[in-house]
Amino acid sequence: MARILAVDDSASMRQMVSFTLKGAGHDVIEASDGKEALGKAKGTQVDLVLSDVNMPVMDGLTLVKELRALPNYKFIPILMLTTESTGDKKMEGKQAGATGWLVKPFNPDQLLATIKKVLG
Amino acid sequence: MTQIATGYQSPRVLPGFEHINRYWDKRMNLAAAKIMPGEFYVSLHGEMIVTVLGSCVSACIRDRVHGIGGMNHFMLPMQGEHSSAQWGSSTVSSASRYGNWAMEFLINEILKAGGEKKNLEVKVFGGGNILSNMTNIGKRNIEFVKGYLANENLEVVAADVGDLYPRKVLYFPDTGAVKIRKMRQMRNDTVMQREKAYIEDINKKPKSGDVELF
Repeated sequence: MARILAVDDSASMRQMVSFTLKGAGHDVIEASDGKEALGKAKGTQVDLVLSDVNMPVMDGLTLVKELRALPNYKFIPILMLTTESTGDKKMEGKQAGATGWLVKPFNPDQLLATIKKVLG
Repeated sequence: MTQIATGYQSPRVLPGFEHINRYWDKRMNLAAAKIMPGEFYVSLHGEMIVTVLGSCVSACIRDRVHGIGGMNHFMLPMQGEHSSAQWGSSTVSSASRYGNWAMEFLINEILKAGGEKKNLEVKVFGGGNILSNMTNIGKRNIEFVKGYLANENLEVVAADVGDLYPRKVLYFPDTGAVKIRKMRQMRNDTVMQREKAYIEDINKKPKSGDVELF
């Protein structure tokens, strides 16, 4: 099972995501914006980052770029979980270094299957 | 300003809302956008947002400083064992996920248009008990929205919910004003038919976003 950093400014979404991930046996660390997530990622090595895009303080795409600049996060899977569904936004995510893009509302089984797939 | 077929100068529509029915409301002498069950609209300025609610609920949310605001119009799907939407009971039910998405989508679109979370002002309407064979549906929708907003620490400054009648809601994001008319007598059952079609649709095809790996 993996240690996952779940990042979302919505408390409700963090609850739902954590509930899903913990139910599958994962260890979850929560953060409510990109800046908090970056601090936690530097403090503890995680196996996967699951992040929202639109967040105050530091948005999800900036978080991806900041993480990719850290040697120990260069190859860690980073999945975006967002209400954004346009091709342009997905392209921005890809260029920032995200591993994949999941559009809300999420399907718990699909989320867990995607995590399993990218963790290899 | 955009010149459209009806001849009036409509305010600029934000990307993603081009499909919404927009028109000039002669009575209010104002540009209007009318949303149906399952739709959203966010306005920068100079428009009113109109909807008719039966059992569905609408959150009217705006940045009170910048006057950017919008409205959603939704109800929760009913899917047997996964239909619970009470906070703390089954937080990953499809109903919770759908409701959460409907609220977050609206808030995100307002923030993307220039709104700030600290300035948000929320009003909630609808949830009438109008579908005869689904007595709790309005109540369930109201409880979900109230629970969601409390969880997100967003204060509700006004609400008109429950009761037995559909409501016509006119929302003015520039000022936050709302005009409501309770429709005690209806000429037809259009509101109920639209809501039935909507709930059948979301029950049949639970909304779930796509997944793309790069």
